[in-house]
Amino acid sequence: MTFLARFRLATFVLMLLAIAAAVPVFAQKLGPDGAPNPTASVTGQRELLQQEPRITGRVDIPDIKSSVLIQPAGRTWDYFHQVLLRWGGGVVILGTVALLAIAYLILGKLPISAGRSGRKVVRFEAFERFAHWLTAASFVILGLTGLNITFGKALLLPLVGPDLFAAISQIAKYVHNFTSFAFVAGLLLITVIFFKDNLLEKVDMDWLKQGGGFIKNRHAPAGRFNFGEKLVFWLSIAAGIAVSVSGFLLLFPFYGTDILGMQLAQVVHAVVAILFVALILGHIYIGTVGMEGAFEAMGTGEVDLNWAKEHHDQWIAKKLASETRPSATAAE
Amino acid sequence: MLIRKSDRRRGSAKPVVADRPGGGLDRRTFLKRSGIAAGTLAALGELALNGVRKAEAGPPAPPGAPVSTRKNICTHCSVGCSVIAKVANGVWIGQEPDYDSPINRGSHCCKGAAVRDDVLSERRLRYPVKLVNGQWTRVSWETAINEIGDKLIEIRQKSGPDSVYWLGSAKFTNEAAYLNRKLAAFWGTNNSDHQARICHSTTVTGVANTWGYGAMTNSYNDIRNSRTILLMGGNPAEAHPVSLQHILEGKELNRANMIVVDPRMTRTAAHATEYVRVRPGTHIATIYGMLWHIFENGWEDKEFLSQRVYGVDEIRKRAAKWNPKEVERVTGLPEAQVKRIAELFAKEKPATLIWAMGQTQFTTGTANVRASCLLLLATGNVGRPGAGANIFRGHTNVQGATDLGLDVTTLPLYYGLAEEAWRHWCRVWEVDYDWMKSRFPTKQLMETPGIPSTRWFDATLLPKDQISQPNPVQAMFVMGHGVNTITRMPEAVRGIEKLELLVVCDPYPTAWSVISERKNGTYLLPACTSFEMDGSRTASNRSLQWGEKIVEPVFESKNDYDMMYMLAKKLGFADLMFKNIKVENGAVSAEDILREINRGGWSTGYCGQSPERLKAHMKNQHKFDLVTLRAPKDDPEVGGDYYGLPWPCWGTPEFRHPGTPILYNTNLPVKDGGGTFRARFGVERVVKRKVMENGQEVEREDHDNLLAEGSYSAGSDIKDGYPEFTLGVLKKLGWDKELTPQEMEIIQRVNSADPDKVSWSLDLSGGIQRVAIEHGCSPYGNAKARMIAWNLPDPIPVYREPIYTPRPDLVADYPTLPDAKQFRMPNIGFSVQKAAVDRAISQQFPLILSSGRLVEYEGGGEETRSNKWLAELKQYMYVEVNPADAAERGIKDGSWVWVTGAENSSRTRVKAMVTERVGKGVAWMPFHFAGFFQGADLRAKYPAGADPIVLGESVNTLTTYGYDPATGMQEPKATLCQIRVA
Amino acid sequence: MARMKFLCDADRCIDCNACVTACKNENEVPWGINRRRVVTINDGKPGERSVSMACMHCTDPPCAAVCPVNCIFPTEDGVVLHNKDQCIGCGYCFYACPFGAPQYPQVGNFGSRGKMDKCTYCAGGGGPEAPGSAAEFAKYGSNRFGEGKLPMCAEMCSTKSLLAGDGDIIAQIYGERVRKRGYGSGAWGWTTAYHEDVEV
Repeated sequence: MTFLARFRLATFVLMLLAIAAAVPVFAQKLGPDGAPNPTASVTGQRELLQQEPRITGRVDIPDIKSSVLIQPAGRTWDYFHQVLLRWGGGVVILGTVALLAIAYLILGKLPISAGRSGRKVVRFEAFERFAHWLTAASFVILGLTGLNITFGKALLLPLVGPDLFAAISQIAKYVHNFTSFAFVAGLLLITVIFFKDNLLEKVDMDWLKQGGGFIKNRHAPAGRFNFGEKLVFWLSIAAGIAVSVSGFLLLFPFYGTDILGMQLAQVVHAVVAILFVALILGHIYIGTVGMEGAFEAMGTGEVDLNWAKEHHDQWIAKKLASETRPSATAAE
Repeated sequence: MLIRKSDRRRGSAKPVVADRPGGGLDRRTFLKRSGIAAGTLAALGELALNGVRKAEAGPPAPPGAPVSTRKNICTHCSVGCSVIAKVANGVWIGQEPDYDSPINRGSHCCKGAAVRDDVLSERRLRYPVKLVNGQWTRVSWETAINEIGDKLIEIRQKSGPDSVYWLGSAKFTNEAAYLNRKLAAFWGTNNSDHQARICHSTTVTGVANTWGYGAMTNSYNDIRNSRTILLMGGNPAEAHPVSLQHILEGKELNRANMIVVDPRMTRTAAHATEYVRVRPGTHIATIYGMLWHIFENGWEDKEFLSQRVYGVDEIRKRAAKWNPKEVERVTGLPEAQVKRIAELFAKEKPATLIWAMGQTQFTTGTANVRASCLLLLATGNVGRPGAGANIFRGHTNVQGATDLGLDVTTLPLYYGLAEEAWRHWCRVWEVDYDWMKSRFPTKQLMETPGIPSTRWFDATLLPKDQISQPNPVQAMFVMGHGVNTITRMPEAVRGIEKLELLVVCDPYPTAWSVISERKNGTYLLPACTSFEMDGSRTASNRSLQWGEKIVEPVFESKNDYDMMYMLAKKLGFADLMFKNIKVENGAVSAEDILREINRGGWSTGYCGQSPERLKAHMKNQHKFDLVTLRAPKDDPEVGGDYYGLPWPCWGTPEFRHPGTPILYNTNLPVKDGGGTFRARFGVERVVKRKVMENGQEVEREDHDNLLAEGSYSAGSDIKDGYPEFTLGVLKKLGWDKELTPQEMEIIQRVNSADPDKVSWSLDLSGGIQRVAIEHGCSPYGNAKARMIAWNLPDPIPVYREPIYTPRPDLVADYPTLPDAKQFRMPNIGFSVQKAAVDRAISQQFPLILSSGRLVEYEGGGEETRSNKWLAELKQYMYVEVNPADAAERGIKDGSWVWVTGAENSSRTRVKAMVTERVGKGVAWMPFHFAGFFQGADLRAKYPAGADPIVLGESVNTLTTYGYDPATGMQEPKATLCQIRVA
Repeated sequence: MARMKFLCDADRCIDCNACVTACKNENEVPWGINRRRVVTINDGKPGERSVSMACMHCTDPPCAAVCPVNCIFPTEDGVVLHNKDQCIGCGYCFYACPFGAPQYPQVGNFGSRGKMDKCTYCAGGGGPEAPGSAAEFAKYGSNRFGEGKLPMCAEMCSTKSLLAGDGDIIAQIYGERVRKRGYGSGAWGWTTAYHEDVEV
């Protein structure tokens, strides 16, 4: 980022703050002798824009957004969308992919140290897997259709031509809009189902101290979810809420918000979505090529006992203990 | 150039240069259209519009259909903007700006730019309907006219012709207005009125009684010459938007003062150099306040006053009482401000005074406009370019309809109702005077002014003994007039319910059709708009413009002429009434009607504007000058004419008088449009004055000269004042020999007993006018303007509080006039005012309620609220409330409120607009809404599909009693109300 | 090459809305879509000014930049057109537009937007339809520009406040006016739209 670009970014942020805090300042001028002189009181746009970031007035049509006469912030938003988001987003996503590729090259697929035991334990029930895959599938759809809005015209348009691209984008828009409901449903389910097991515990400190097992090259202690997974969980919840709220604002334009609200919603939606995609890329990596035996947990719902012992020692210990008690029902 | 679409993306574009279209925009035209004279930007290059794509503009016509253009006049205000319509296959497919018109130069306001939907609107009444037990039922035209005619005849036989009220319209063409008045005359009543009653009736009376004619003295275009523009009681930015083109350009070019005196900070005031917020209804006090400073400082035009004005001494005395302290007590205006505007008006000349309803719609309306005239006279600002009383009339043809006698006090063209007037028009109509007299119950009723439209429901509801005619009104025959523009609507509703017959002819059903609980005896006849018929219209500046039919009347609608012909036929006098007017297959010739007007319109100079001349003007619009409105003298068709032949256009059409763009302008010869003040009130006035002689007070009889002294129009052979011309006067001057034998013969026929008495206005040959003008004289004489109009209730303006005033403390000093009987009706304004003060109404209703116009709508609003492009812009009825008043009542901008009125326990539910446009203590509402009544939605009561898009409460549900004694004008500009959250 | 612009002389604008209905009439714009509107600043107070606003046909138009499907583009006359066949109704052009110009018909579900509609400078559309054809008119409105005529809003302005045409010429006209009358509240939106102001 050049200095100028950085300066513009800073200005943009300041401006957003200023917009929120702006109070209309009214400059009334009087003619000679103090009589109201409408002509002498002429106020130009320059003064008005110094007082407020937007020039707003009264309109006759019952359309509140039409009362904004001039909002130079549109140009700033254009800059955000075309430059910051495109390059920033590109860097974040490609950077994540690159980091993961490097990780794979260095670490390879992390094996189950003790080898497969051949004994399977149930890690995720069907309903839990349904919730995960509902969210996951809708996330992928939303991600791809969403990325198309920002990157499609640079990447896809030259390949397929404008008419096909427009058709694709049109479908993508509707798919994006409708899939959002599935995503929100999945997000709610996940939140409810996994909420308790993701609460932070003392063991997470240990896991963290051991660097998740990467530093000392031995497996760190963990409950049903280790700290890394919890981090993904909480970040996903937060990001999910952020994209959902901002997304619905965008889906129902100008209901209860104004042009600034819409711009902010789009900024939040786009920025969080990019980071979210990066986060989930990491999640996918660990769950698939990054670690042996991990995918099965969400694939079939059953994991190898040794995998469980290595990665979730406390969970499996508890689980095995409860299974030995005959009176216990299959609680999970 | 535009890029061809197949190569439309940036970067990859291969521009393809299309053929250069014909009719590209050259720079000169472009500059002209932008309102700047060509040549001032000579350094600029050509406007390069080369290579644009060739295409037809506007909604494309169906393939193969030829597109024709027709020119008509916008029907929405008195400015008179030309509308160019594109027509294909009989369908109006688009509008184009008419840059040739010197009046609007292509411009429109939102109404003019949307008139196409007045015609095309889906909401129009499609066929005649009548109420049968509360249900609208379709009937044929023949059935409707038959049933209506039978009922009218029944009422006539039972109660006399005066029990039928003919309410006409300011949206009529001149020809239709004239025909409507003629219809009432043939029917036998003077109960024939139209919107001028509630618009400028007080102006007409007040101004005509001052200097001869009651019309705008100059023109919209002439305001370009003004150095001071004073607007008192007008908001042309909303009511006459295109006039602002002339006002603002004048203001800019001359760096003129533009002063707006108004209770509201209007869109007009936003462009003023000074805005003066005044209390509604205090106009006379303000004017006297200004005159006080003018006389005190000697700023008056002394030469003008001595030569051309009668009665200034009394005004001096009256003005002396209005010292700055008293003015401030009444109006609230500080001394310095009043002094400043008075000084500007008196010293930075020429100065013009512009007004509209803000002066006229008061119980003191006539006195208000008289006061304005006094200010103009005192400062010598009449009868010259850039000065004058620029009275902005409201409707497209309210000037013409007024001129053509749609009025309870006169026959067409201000002839009055005396026997002489009836005989004149009977001569023109070629009907027997005695037959005409037989149509009326008595000769006395024939010569008595009728009931003003403001009182029609009183004439229905009041007991018989209070109405000075044989019977109350039992039938209303309404053509193009809303009911919601008249005050006291709750009482009008009762009036409608009491009628035996209600007929409404209008393109839209109007509020008449829904506001009452009538179940039967109601007919709605679909009239077409003026865009669907030929005819002339008189703009506010007295220019006549001919509009040509754009499309055939849509659906089953009919034009006014044909409708009135059908009715006259049913009533049995069509042959007499249309004796000299061609009717082919029921289609009446508008041209013939105008020719008949020409043959009788001598008094006001409606005699020279033949249809052929008017059509030539429309064809040659581009030849007329923007400022003077004059065409070059050498033009073969319109040479030397002023645009639209502004009346008076003297003599026969062949005499080719150019029209009079500025009234009473002595700087021009009469034949070039000059003139003098009219000698309408005799040559002298006998006054008894008490004077001191030898220490004793004695009464002396003075003969005050009313003729001008040492002032005359350019080129006049008589270098002093003179009376109006008659054959006798011509003889005295020895000019009678210049009359042709034919002219002499016609004069003899007019009054064979005493031809010397035949005057310029009764002479059907036009000879007397011709000879007078050839000697440089005004046919109507050369007199002084009257500062004292001794025939009016208040000979010189007297300040009087509105009937419902927020200042009961001032009523003792400035009460309204005593109760009296006027226009066949009692006027109990004094009692009402006294009761309001005694009952402390102003404490229950502490806010002043004023009403006015919006730019999007017009009049009662049915037409414009049914226009989809206009209706979208104002979707709710509202009340403007000052933020301070709103805060006291907990009212938020955009919330619903109840506004309650001081009479009839009236109330309306409207939206609040909290705005500083109105001052504290003042509320303002637009008057164009109907369709809601006291909280009830009446949409279901309209004939199916003909309900206007936007409905709302009418402000006149809240307005109250109060009538100008001279004209019956209502008082909707100042009453009282209360507002609370709904 | 003429560069088309709009200029609203706020010292002439009286909020009469002629531009609004002229646009609706000429282009048969449906209810709820307002290609042009008049906004009044300081309503009811001294210093009140009304400004007529529509698409300003910006230099470097932000709407075109942010359009995810590249359906908006400026022509060489500086008129910003768009292709409704490609528009997906995402609403981004509205966020980027400094003048609130893009309009969307409400279609189907939620507050969902249909194809964007905006002022075309009365120059037809940016789609594949033949210029001046009924198909083009139905989608975009009239094509006066192709006839060598200017946008109807400016042509019918009641006080000649709204100027359209070659930017250099209308700037000259405006400058001339300001010099003549001695005041002016500036060429509204010009710095934002065209990165320049009118020199007086």
